[in-house]
Amino acid sequence: MTSTPMQRSLDPLEPGDTPTQRTASGKTNLEKTDDGEPRFNGCSTIKSYEISEKLGEGTFGEVYKARSVKDGHVVALKKILMHNEKDGFPITALREIKLLKMLSHPNVLRLEEMAVERTKGEGRKKAIMYMVTPYMDHDLSGLLENPKVHFSEPQIKCYMLQLLEGLRYLHASKILHRDMKAANLLINNRGILQIADFGLARPYDDPIPRPGNGGGEAKRDYTTLVVTRWYRPPELLLQLRRYTTAIDMWGVGCVFGEMFRGKPILAGTSDLNQAQLIFDLVGSPTEENMPGWSSLPGCDGVTSFSSRPGTLAQVFRQEGSSAISLLGELLKLDWRKRINAIDALEHPYFKNPPLPARPGDIPRFEDSHELDRRRFRGQKAALPPAPAGGSVGMGPHGDWTNGSMAMNNRGLQRPWGAKPGFPGQQQQQQQQQQQQPQPQPQRYNDSNNRTHYPPPDHRVPGPPGPPPPPAHRPAWARDANGLPPRPPPSHVSGSGGMGWSNENPTDVPRTRMPARGIAPAGAARGEVDTYIPAYASRDSGSRDRDEGLRREERANWRRHGNRREGEAREPARRRSRSPERFWERDRHEGYRR
Amino acid sequence: MVPEGETLSSLSNPLATVEQLSNSSSSLDGVPPSLESSIRFAGLQITQAAGILLRIPQEIIAQAMVIFTRFYLGPEGGSVRKNGAKDVSAASIYIAAKLSADPRTTRSVCNVYAYLMSAPTRQAFPNPPPHDPESYFLSEGSYHSARALLLQTETIILRTLSFNTKVVVPHHLALTYLQTLGVLPTVPSSTSRNLASRTLGYLNLALFSPQLLYITHQPTSLAVAAIYLTAREVEVKLPSNEWWEVFDVDREELGFLVVALQSCEGWIRAEKERWPGTSCPVTVDGVNLEIKDID
Repeated sequence: MTSTPMQRSLDPLEPGDTPTQRTASGKTNLEKTDDGEPRFNGCSTIKSYEISEKLGEGTFGEVYKARSVKDGHVVALKKILMHNEKDGFPITALREIKLLKMLSHPNVLRLEEMAVERTKGEGRKKAIMYMVTPYMDHDLSGLLENPKVHFSEPQIKCYMLQLLEGLRYLHASKILHRDMKAANLLINNRGILQIADFGLARPYDDPIPRPGNGGGEAKRDYTTLVVTRWYRPPELLLQLRRYTTAIDMWGVGCVFGEMFRGKPILAGTSDLNQAQLIFDLVGSPTEENMPGWSSLPGCDGVTSFSSRPGTLAQVFRQEGSSAISLLGELLKLDWRKRINAIDALEHPYFKNPPLPARPGDIPRFEDSHELDRRRFRGQKAALPPAPAGGSVGMGPHGDWTNGSMAMNNRGLQRPWGAKPGFPGQQQQQQQQQQQQPQPQPQRYNDSNNRTHYPPPDHRVPGPPGPPPPPAHRPAWARDANGLPPRPPPSHVSGSGGMGWSNENPTDVPRTRMPARGIAPAGAARGEVDTYIPAYASRDSGSRDRDEGLRREERANWRRHGNRREGEAREPARRRSRSPERFWERDRHEGYRR
Repeated sequence: MVPEGETLSSLSNPLATVEQLSNSSSSLDGVPPSLESSIRFAGLQITQAAGILLRIPQEIIAQAMVIFTRFYLGPEGGSVRKNGAKDVSAASIYIAAKLSADPRTTRSVCNVYAYLMSAPTRQAFPNPPPHDPESYFLSEGSYHSARALLLQTETIILRTLSFNTKVVVPHHLALTYLQTLGVLPTVPSSTSRNLASRTLGYLNLALFSPQLLYITHQPTSLAVAAIYLTAREVEVKLPSNEWWEVFDVDREELGFLVVALQSCEGWIRAEKERWPGTSCPVTVDGVNLEIKDID
């Protein structure tokens, strides 16, 4: 291949033809209209935004809050870092952008445009791309994590309606979201909820849901390596490949329960544990309540579960019968009968008093972003990572919140077990409240046992840390105790970024962020690969299985003869979400329209 | 409840504006319109050939060709004097494959373009004489610079298109329409086979049209025009009424497209005579030389 002498113009930084060039050559300046506005409506430059603050920082890069210079509206800028330059623009980002550009719904996060920043580094110039989305004040997970925030029933109904509307639109548009979770639901101070993070989404090739028909049936196979574990439906845990839009509905059920409980209701420590927690809650599978379950491959090779009746109605008895009914419909084991978004919107729950609040009537809350929320950290369990392939530059908490939880990498946690918190932590919580005389969000009276009891944290023993600062702290100012939230090791990546996120933190000299968090156990072993989510380092059995699977996949890869030519494999340096991995998945799955 | 899926516009493409069609970045850079058309044609040919060599499905190749065409469109687009057609072709097919089920490695893409650029291949694709592999061998060093160029061009294309990478191609539509019209029996006959393959042939031909049919007309119209033309040629009887109305195509547009499709072949033949062998420039150097010659 010959390279041209005009290398300069090939550089992404060099706008192929600038107005000056034009006028100098005596040509009409077509770059700008008569009133000086640029005619070019491609990507805008980062200069059209004034960055005000950093909202979050994750494995993927950074998210900023910014204001449009032109009309002053506030946006979030998500930086797409080009870590894996070997393969150019990140494949997941490219697919997510393509998908987002096709969608338009009030309850789906809108991609306003792409903005480009041209920087001149040493010798080599680079273009940094940003996704520009509307600024949302919170994510649901962060909001629930805030001990001062309690949801009223009308508010929960309001959010649920919006969530279901958004999902109805996605499913009608033949899109599977595949990473439904509280952290991916963004909420602003006008009470609007939007579904974000389409890093795992894909076109759905089967018939869309019809009223009264549940999720229907799928005719083709999809990959089961999707959905963050705590929100993963039983059929996926049992390795059903022909799944339907019902997988997203299960996630809605989990989020619904989470809004009551204030924390994830099914926080499994491994895939098997996850399945057991599910069966504890809704009953063990039988051919009646989950036809065909026994012919599924099973979870971690386990295909029989002790018989249990299910405790859903008991556990949620305080929420009333219509809430329990809707929850039961959403958390139905039989994916064919699980309620779809169309029918859920018509559920009596939304028609019975108290009626849903209007979005505008919901009280404002203190912003919940990573940097704000660090003070609440340590009170929640670490969210398991999203399967790799996840979001374009989003942390485990979705979007600009990287979650403030990763610090407590503790063992098994009861879903909603009301364990007494450590006195120290409660004290800390009180201190926080005393020290933050910020405008109190409006409180609701339904204090039905929603206090957040921090579970014991073995990793951060001792007295509570220094009282959290009232305002944002820059990233560099974090003390050791303020380690950023990060899910425990092998997950890191899954949750996040665009393919590099899984790498060993010490192996990212190019990133601007410090290597944070705990070095993944997996990384130490030189075998980090979260495409197959190997979530729990504590669950060695599952890990081994995962590795077995990986080997198998690799063998597959070679069989396909598609191994990259000329590239030596260095397992220790492999990026977790190498495109090969995606290709492998997509090969199985056929990401075709 | 109205299915909202319709808003997904899975059957339509963004089309070029009049302004984009009347001016191009290349012409502002002093490239005569006829030369620009020739370069575009040569670039599209390379893209199609590369797609075949990379064993990419035709649907994806067609998407790459539309991305290629979009890139050079309008005063805000790319210029053949800044980004060579060969490089843009390679990056277009790389992007299209990346978005598909079956991405290709940078290595494969670079290898294929090195092979395609070797003179004997270009002269006689798809049946080049066997020639010395040395002439298209990519050393590690040249691979690295080729890859850097490929990825650079990828970014430029994405930026120029403002990431509008979604391309709907009419191929599958055309087959659905043929079935709807009742001319594709469940047990295919030789006529129906011929009908289907010629229809798809016209749709592939339209990709090369100097009238940029894929970015001036919606896929539904292209499918209807290809069916109309093919049915006349292979003498398959279609409904005698104005069946194209059912597919949202009016008579005027259909007429225009039929003429445009029919003229393609002659135009391509003329192009091949004008640029025998490998003479049509597909690199920035080549274009600059060519323009110097014109001056």
